[in-house]
Amino acid sequence: MTALALPDRIDLATVRPLQASLQCVATEDVALDASSVTHFGALGLQLLLSAAKTARIAGRRLEIASSSEAFDSALTRFGLSHEDLQHLPDAEAPCH
Amino acid sequence: MSDPMAEIKASFFIECEELLESLQDALSDLDEGADDGETINVVFRAVHSIKGGAGAFGLDALVAFAHRFETVLDELRAGRLDLTPQAVKLFFQAADLLADEIRAAREGSPEPEAAEECLQALEALLGDRGPSHTADAEDEVEAADFQPMGLALDLDFDFTPEDASPTGFTLQFRPDGALYASGNEPLQLLRALAEIAEVSIMTDAEAVPPLDALDPEENHLSWTVQITGDVTEEEIREVFEFVEDVCQIDISPILDTREMPLPELPEIDGEPSGFTEEDEKFEPEAEVNGPGSVNAAPPPTDDIAKIATEAPARTPDPSPAEQQAEAAKPSAAQPAASNTTPAAEPGATVRVDIERIDRLVNLVGELVINQAMLAQSVAEAGLPPNSAVNTGLEAFMMLTRDIQDSVMMIRAQPVKPLFQRMARIVREASSAIGKDVRLKTEGETTEVDKTVIERLADPLTHMIRNAVDHGLESPDMREAIGKPREGIVTLSAHHRSGRVVIEVSDDGGGIDRKKVFEKAIEKGFVTPDAQLSDNEIDNLLFLPGFSTADQVSALSGRGVGMDVVKSSIQSLGGRISITSEPGKGSCFSISLPLTLAVLDGMVVNVAGETLVVPLSSILETATLTSEDIRALGPSTNVIHLRGAFVPLFDLGAELGYRAPKRSYSGDVVLLTAQEDGARSALVVDSILEQRQVVIKGLQQSYGHIPGVAAATILGDGQIALILDPADLVQSASGNTRAIDLSLAG
Repeated sequence: MTALALPDRIDLATVRPLQASLQCVATEDVALDASSVTHFGALGLQLLLSAAKTARIAGRRLEIASSSEAFDSALTRFGLSHEDLQHLPDAEAPCH
Repeated sequence: MSDPMAEIKASFFIECEELLESLQDALSDLDEGADDGETINVVFRAVHSIKGGAGAFGLDALVAFAHRFETVLDELRAGRLDLTPQAVKLFFQAADLLADEIRAAREGSPEPEAAEECLQALEALLGDRGPSHTADAEDEVEAADFQPMGLALDLDFDFTPEDASPTGFTLQFRPDGALYASGNEPLQLLRALAEIAEVSIMTDAEAVPPLDALDPEENHLSWTVQITGDVTEEEIREVFEFVEDVCQIDISPILDTREMPLPELPEIDGEPSGFTEEDEKFEPEAEVNGPGSVNAAPPPTDDIAKIATEAPARTPDPSPAEQQAEAAKPSAAQPAASNTTPAAEPGATVRVDIERIDRLVNLVGELVINQAMLAQSVAEAGLPPNSAVNTGLEAFMMLTRDIQDSVMMIRAQPVKPLFQRMARIVREASSAIGKDVRLKTEGETTEVDKTVIERLADPLTHMIRNAVDHGLESPDMREAIGKPREGIVTLSAHHRSGRVVIEVSDDGGGIDRKKVFEKAIEKGFVTPDAQLSDNEIDNLLFLPGFSTADQVSALSGRGVGMDVVKSSIQSLGGRISITSEPGKGSCFSISLPLTLAVLDGMVVNVAGETLVVPLSSILETATLTSEDIRALGPSTNVIHLRGAFVPLFDLGAELGYRAPKRSYSGDVVLLTAQEDGARSALVVDSILEQRQVVIKGLQQSYGHIPGVAAATILGDGQIALILDPADLVQSASGNTRAIDLSLAG
């Protein structure tokens, strides 16, 4: 499983380069390290949700290996949890 | 290095001035009957923004006042309070006191005393719905963090289930890409929402494409938020106030929490996604609807209500960039708050210390003098007019003129703030003596030199009080003579022939000339047998120590009279005149130079002296013939000019340079006009040139010299007096008018 560290801030300024780094979720299982994230904005959320969708389509695993308080707090505020951001192959189609 | 907090605070107070101005504008609109929602919103937002900023700086008294004011305004905004004239009056009063509170906060001086009284009167408008203000106002001071979108507004209206008002709201929020581009963040908005109410938030990610199809800077997310608790739709909208242009917001009320409908979210596999507070059986696994629709995901062990009410986990300190972004928000948000007032367009403006501008003005003054000296040297060198030096000099003079105009434009400011101060004077003066008075203002955008504006405040205040106190009749009297009970005082400003004219008029009874005349006799200013024209009687009001008020009222009649007004206007190079019509009202007209720094003048020679006559006062010049001159009385002449007679004054004689001439045939006259339209012809020996001169005031050294406005330095270094023709004519010996005799005495 490939480990990928997320940048400190995930917002308008960083989503585009991060999108490029995340392309690997289509080809390999990826463990995200969100432990140094200090700001997790809505564009960051959107990007990770998109990565999760990509992984699901490719039948790959995407998980959050570790996360910071700021990351979790933001996720909670968006009404989501870690599970929403990771795709587990065995929970795949039929979706829900 | 200066304290950045102090700088931000200083800019907050400057913003307050602007907010107060828009507050006054909107209140005036309300007063004139514009009770549309947007105007009320402008009022509300101004007070709200002041409160928000004040909270950030811990200005508790200001926050408390603004909060209680805002609470009442919010009722108005929600349509639960009628906009009665009484209410508008109280709003004006509260706005005045808010200005006082801001000043008190800025200067650290004590709070205005009348604040509590005014607030109570305001809250009385609410009747039973009066809020308990103390506690939450304090809470708010702690909560406020100077982020415009996140101000918690705990307006605690009594909220009872039997009210038909909703028990909650469903909010659909979909940002545009521009929301992010403008530095905003949905996360902050959602947090701000969570601060004012209980929320359960659901992210709808249905539209999010896979990575290869995703434009990561565009938005594909939307949120559905169930909002419960004591919160109004207005409060919710306020959270989104600064982003409303860059997102789609839909708020719908829920009338009963128990029957709270499920939010309309895309259905996945035939099942509605999302959940409600009642989803006690909520299974953590169930929320994973597949990555295509991540709708609801509370922590597995908790229910939504719990998430909603818990304080958001403390986030690490924002990075410097974030702090900067936060600091930038208030100013960025400012235009949005006042986007209905075109005057407050977010044009690129720079705040400059007035001292720097003054230094520039002085330097330009020196430049003008220097240029004049250079021009003189060139002329003396005898170079041909079309020589390169002369052509270059002409271009240089034009440039100098442009620079000067531009610099003067920097100093020019609209009279609006001054007029708004006068509106307050009218309100206070009229309520002090129990008259209904409306102030009408015209030409608020007229621009005048800043110094002139500052120095006009006192004389104008006095004139306005006079108009309210003496000018207007009592409401009963007005009614008896068929006028509306409400008197009107009009304050107007406009440009007229290179000067600015400010008029204070009222629709009262006009000057009681009989009474003025009697008073003047009683005070020994005129003899009982003096024959005075109406105009001359009116001008008696400007005599020192003159007051027709039999009793000292709260406002006027304290012995500081129109003479003080007149001398302050004169010290600004201005003049004041009166027109009055019995039963219809009076009008005091002040004419002022646009700037106190330079003027266009005609340089003339009189008995070997060089003098400057302001070009703005000269209508035309002419050469006299013996047929033009007609004798009038033993010592005065008039000239016959195109069917009209104009009094003739010999400048040399009036200024004491020489005795009057025997004949003026062949002499040059300057025909000048006064504010009241009266014309006079001034005899000069010759006209030298027309040029721009720098005004050097004489007031400080010599006081007011009749007929002399100031002095200037000419190109050859010689000092020349700048004349004030109207003033000169007033006190001229050639004028046989009785008013001058009395003035002379």
